[in-house]
Amino acid sequence: MESVGDEKKIRALFSELKIADEQTAPAFTAVWQRAQSRSMKPRRAFNLSFAVATALLFCAMATLAVLSIRSQRAVPASASATMSATPDSFAPRSDKGSNVAVAVETPKDSSPPVKIRVAKSSQRHAQEIAANSQLAKEAKAIESWQSPTADLLSSPSDGLFKSLPQLNENANELKSFLPNRENEKEK
Amino acid sequence: MTRSVSVKTDGMQITELKAELERLHSASFGWALSCCRRDQTEAEEVLQTVYLKIFEGKARFGGESSLKTWLFAVIRKTAATEYRRRLLRSFRLTGDPEEIVERAAPNESQSAGYERSELQGHFQSAMKSLPKRQREALHLVFYEDLSLREAADVMGVSIGSARQHYERGKKRLRESLATMELGYGISWGRKENPSAV
Repeated sequence: MESVGDEKKIRALFSELKIADEQTAPAFTAVWQRAQSRSMKPRRAFNLSFAVATALLFCAMATLAVLSIRSQRAVPASASATMSATPDSFAPRSDKGSNVAVAVETPKDSSPPVKIRVAKSSQRHAQEIAANSQLAKEAKAIESWQSPTADLLSSPSDGLFKSLPQLNENANELKSFLPNRENEKEK
Repeated sequence: MTRSVSVKTDGMQITELKAELERLHSASFGWALSCCRRDQTEAEEVLQTVYLKIFEGKARFGGESSLKTWLFAVIRKTAATEYRRRLLRSFRLTGDPEEIVERAAPNESQSAGYERSELQGHFQSAMKSLPKRQREALHLVFYEDLSLREAADVMGVSIGSARQHYERGKKRLRESLATMELGYGISWGRKENPSAV
């Protein structure tokens, strides 16, 4: 019973509040017209947050592009260094030197990046030539190398072991290669 | 009672919709006030945004529920969005969290649009002390005369959940009003307190 009474009291307080709100409520037509006028206004084309997000995205993409270009440049340089160490390039290339000389002389009147590039390439060529000449010397040394124990393997009968009978030799000479069976029979 | 009509915001039906909105305007304003913590300026702004949404066709009435519950649900969502936006804007402008709380809180002078009686003032402060869901359930049932099912539709919860919010809110409101009654010697129903005389 008490809760029903309380509910009535709460309802009475709410209805009192409602009456007060109705008195202060703005007119419908005014609110509606303001809403209509707001819909007529052109929307702001520039969105700051969207612009900032786009700029950040652009910066990130540019950074990635620069990094990828740098890594691509680094890979061919290391590859050429490994290629110069292979046995195919042992022989010294005398004609490269002239190319280098030409390349060094020409970039005098060109822009600074070209100069740097030419200087770098000439330096690389000089390094390659030096490496090749050293490798050729080492190859010659390997050819004439002998083992220190090679003398121990040689013996006086090496000539007999290494020689073969000729087809046009006479029978007596051939007999010397056969085992002595007749002597065994006499025994 | 609300009339369940299929309304679209294009063609000839806009006039019918406008008439329905006009009929529900004062109730909508009361609900917007409740959603905006009794801030009249904010409530008006929210209502204007809701009408704009309906006018532009961003909010469409599908006819699944009554127009009143649909409109109230739109008001509730718009008020929440506006509150978040205002909070973000104030955070961007000031960056001081304490100032943000002050700005986000409703202006007492604005909310007191009329001369409140003492009991009404206590009642409103008791309502403010309630959790949001409980306050919404009580407002929809007592102020807007909606059934619990309709209140649940507006709040976007199940009817069981709405009933729980309603019962708990009613209990807490009764308790806080009783405490105030004891503290200030105010009697319910505006009866004179014999002990005070």
